[in-house]
Amino acid sequence: MNKIAATIDNFGRAILDNIEEMGRILILFLSVLMWMVRPPLKLRLIFRQMEFVGVKSIFVVVLTGTFTGMVMALQGYYGFKMFNAESLVGSTVALGMTRELGPVLTALMVTARAGSAMAAELGTMRVTEQIDALYVMATNPVKHLIVPRVIAGVVMLPLLTVVADFMGILGGYFVGVPILGINSGAFVNNITKMVDLGDIYHGLTKAAFFGLILSVVGCHKGFNTTGGAEGVGRATTEAVVLASVSILISDYFLTAIMF
Amino acid sequence: MIKLVDIHKSFGRQKVLDGVNLEIEDGKTTVIIGGSGGGKSVLLKHIIGLLKPDSGQVIVDDVDIVSLNDRDLNEIRKKFGMLFQDAALFDSMNVLENVAFPLKEHTRKKEKEIREIVEERLRAVGLTGVEDKMPSELSGGMRKRVGLARAIAMHPQIVLFDEPTTGLDPVMTEAINELIIETQKIFDLTCVVISHDVQSIFTVGHKIAMLYEGKIIEYGTPEKIKMSSNPVLRQFLSGSLEGPINVI
Amino acid sequence: MSSISTEAKVGLFVLAALIILAYMSFRVGEYGFGLKKGYLVNVVFDDATGLEKDASVQIAGVEVGRVEDISLKDGKALVTLRILPSVELEKDVEAKIKSYGILGDKYVDIVPGTKDGTYITAGGDITRTGQQADIDKLLSELGIIAGDVMKITSSLKNVLGSAEGEANLKAIVENTRSITENLNRVVTQNDEKLNLMITNLGEASAEMRNAFAALNNIVERIDSGEGTIGQLVENRDVFDNLNQTLASIRDITDKINKGEGTIGKLVNDEDTVDNLNASLKSLEKSMDGIERYVSKSEQFKTFLSYRGEYLFDGGDGKGYFDLTIRPKEDKFYVLGLVADPRGSRTVTDTTVGATPTTRTETWERDELLFTAQIGKRFKDIALRGGIFESTGGVGIDYFAFDDRLQVTFEAFDFDSDRNAHLKTYAEYRLLKHIYLSAGWDDFISNEGRESPFIGFSIKFEDEDLKYLLGSVPIPK
Ligand SMILES: Nc1ncnc2c1ncn2[C@@H]1O[C@H](COP(=O)(O)OP(=O)(O)OP(=O)(O)O)[C@@H](O)[C@H]1O
Ligand SMILES: [Mg+2]
Repeated sequence: MNKIAATIDNFGRAILDNIEEMGRILILFLSVLMWMVRPPLKLRLIFRQMEFVGVKSIFVVVLTGTFTGMVMALQGYYGFKMFNAESLVGSTVALGMTRELGPVLTALMVTARAGSAMAAELGTMRVTEQIDALYVMATNPVKHLIVPRVIAGVVMLPLLTVVADFMGILGGYFVGVPILGINSGAFVNNITKMVDLGDIYHGLTKAAFFGLILSVVGCHKGFNTTGGAEGVGRATTEAVVLASVSILISDYFLTAIMF
Repeated sequence: MIKLVDIHKSFGRQKVLDGVNLEIEDGKTTVIIGGSGGGKSVLLKHIIGLLKPDSGQVIVDDVDIVSLNDRDLNEIRKKFGMLFQDAALFDSMNVLENVAFPLKEHTRKKEKEIREIVEERLRAVGLTGVEDKMPSELSGGMRKRVGLARAIAMHPQIVLFDEPTTGLDPVMTEAINELIIETQKIFDLTCVVISHDVQSIFTVGHKIAMLYEGKIIEYGTPEKIKMSSNPVLRQFLSGSLEGPINVI
Repeated sequence: MSSISTEAKVGLFVLAALIILAYMSFRVGEYGFGLKKGYLVNVVFDDATGLEKDASVQIAGVEVGRVEDISLKDGKALVTLRILPSVELEKDVEAKIKSYGILGDKYVDIVPGTKDGTYITAGGDITRTGQQADIDKLLSELGIIAGDVMKITSSLKNVLGSAEGEANLKAIVENTRSITENLNRVVTQNDEKLNLMITNLGEASAEMRNAFAALNNIVERIDSGEGTIGQLVENRDVFDNLNQTLASIRDITDKINKGEGTIGKLVNDEDTVDNLNASLKSLEKSMDGIERYVSKSEQFKTFLSYRGEYLFDGGDGKGYFDLTIRPKEDKFYVLGLVADPRGSRTVTDTTVGATPTTRTETWERDELLFTAQIGKRFKDIALRGGIFESTGGVGIDYFAFDDRLQVTFEAFDFDSDRNAHLKTYAEYRLLKHIYLSAGWDDFISNEGRESPFIGFSIKFEDEDLKYLLGSVPIPK
């Protein structure tokens, strides 16, 4: 009987914890917004984070984008071949990349690369009292540490997504035209005909949201780390899991709203 | 003047501070001693508002900082400098940037000027030519001294030192003590020093407070402390295993 | 690399990404950008089913704009088009809603008007619209076909009127005589067998009577102008064309009648006989060629079939007319028409005020239903899918005894508020082109439409059609 009560108790507590965490993420987000508009903007820090989140992610994003496009072209080809509609491979790849895979895969890759790093960095700073040191030096860590990361995430994700979209289409073209022998004119024309500006821009809007999610979640997990080196490890894992899941879930709702 | 009134603080079920009352006089150096894990660092963090007491007041220049909002607390903090027990250097910055950090944050000094100040502070703590090193490339003692340089970089009114000499060789210990005494005198600082080093306590401190079982059990001038008949204090100062402090 | 500052790296990346974005936007948004500057034109369609915002607007297959908006106006669809500024539309252009292929998206096709220098201005209207509904298209094409038939008959008229034609006719008469001679011989030699055949035929025709009763039924309805075919016959154009065709046929027969004397004259003319011989030879040659071609494309087969079904419950008849195209041994397409006297049902729900919903069922009788299926055969089993009696469905056929027996199961009309239409039957090949069938239609119907049936069908292969066509003299 006691066991059951304890289980229910734990379950309830887990739910409360989750709600509380959501609340704290929201509060963190609001204070990020508040600090974002308070001068001075620490441009140097923002640039450094942009370099870290954006420039240093180019390689993985190019790789992911290219191969995703290539695989899509290959898969699409076998499907469309049955209907003699191979030239639709191009638009399938392009639509898939711009609307869905570009933003989502980029966000997941950047989460793994930069979101985790944010959690680890801030977590380490927390457990080695560097965040306390910031407070002591009358510097708000939200402004100093989190705002630049969130700005970098929101700005860089769409740009990385552009790269992923482009590389995906290029990869699809590479597989489709020279390797599978799809007519190049039909391939490109179908893309320009079927893909709208809206597809691209909605994809990029999504990407910006994902950038917000991964940076806020990463910073939140890092910022609230407890428990030494082990805690840092835990925070990093939790940040990646929570951010990835949130990205995928919010993707559904963003898609439902936008398309 | 800093005044701690009946501070209680627990972490979970563990009661760390159990009614601390302490007045820290302006322009004097107060040394806090006590057993390892006794709550000295926790007490220090209360003074600067990093930790909030479960109950009690922390009064800095007639303001109770416990109930202050972030912005006002920040203003109060600008009066402070603090050396953390583990230095808490920013590991994404090199030594120069670490020491320059408060200067860049809160002054409009030029790059060159800041660099001069940083070099001067580093020289004061016995470090030269390490400006470009990263904290991870420094020894523990060097890190502590860089932290010290950073704490006094702004010439704050109040400086909190959490074990400034632990981990340093005897000569360096003496030099740091000398530095604290000098700067305190020159700038008329209010210093709070946590220390285990019995020798340092008496050279540095104008007032000494003994924290034991969450309370200040003895407070006074070095002379008074030396003469004290409190068995806890006696055992602490003599470093004997016999007495009320149970280690093992 | 280390000499490049953080700011420069970020700046370069941002710049590169923006250039790529601009490039992509430009490529996919060629019309998007241009169109924001384009002008608006209104057009009212009776029916804009399937047309969506942003759909393409084309002239001769070239995109000239997009559908900006679709709204309702006086019970019709008001479609606003945004046309590229560089494109001018004449006052009398015609707008039609078309689709890319059968399943493709809808788009607006604009047929250019007369070049008289007057153009539609921004905000103006396209007044001429064409509805490209399938049945209408069919009708207008039938008109064209009738015209073609007329042409053929008139050329036939020419052929038969000429000397050469008369020679051909002579030869035909000759051939007919020899055939009857042969037939005579065959008949005397196979008296017994023939007797048997005739009794068989008698039985078959008894069965055919039922089917024809059903057919009669349909034809009567067509006669009385009901249903689509009825309308087709009523259609003025077609009717006129048919009239003309009949007139020309009458002409020909007249000519032949008159030419009887001429044929007699020609019999003694040596030259004509030579010509005839030569032309028959070349005909033979070309037939050979056709034969060779056909054997090469042997795999490609076409079947034409008619099946009549007599439903015991209700005493109704159902007619199926199917064209089956089999490009490969294991793949086939079926296109067809179904005459179902019970027709299809439409349900309309109406709610008046607080009173509960009234459900009105309308039976569209005499409606022609469509069949369009794609199928694949695996050894003795064929799977079909597509349109069954104008609704979606699937079917499976099992073949036995060298395809003499076919057992079929079909399921279609998956409507949510009634049971699916299930049908099963067996069809047996009685004679070369004659089949008999029996089965059970709509057997899980919850509307009392289940009925056993028997049926009769005729099937022709293209092989048979080839002979039918091949024996007709072809004018050169
Ligand atoms: N953030 C915290 N959460 C939970 N417990 C804490 C926290 N900070 C300190 N403690 C606990 O409070 C007690 C006092 O810690 P504190 O760091 O003040 O000791 P100390 O007197 O500075 O010891 P030392 O001389 O070894 O530095 C310790 O038992 C420690 O475990
Ligand atoms: Mg301590």
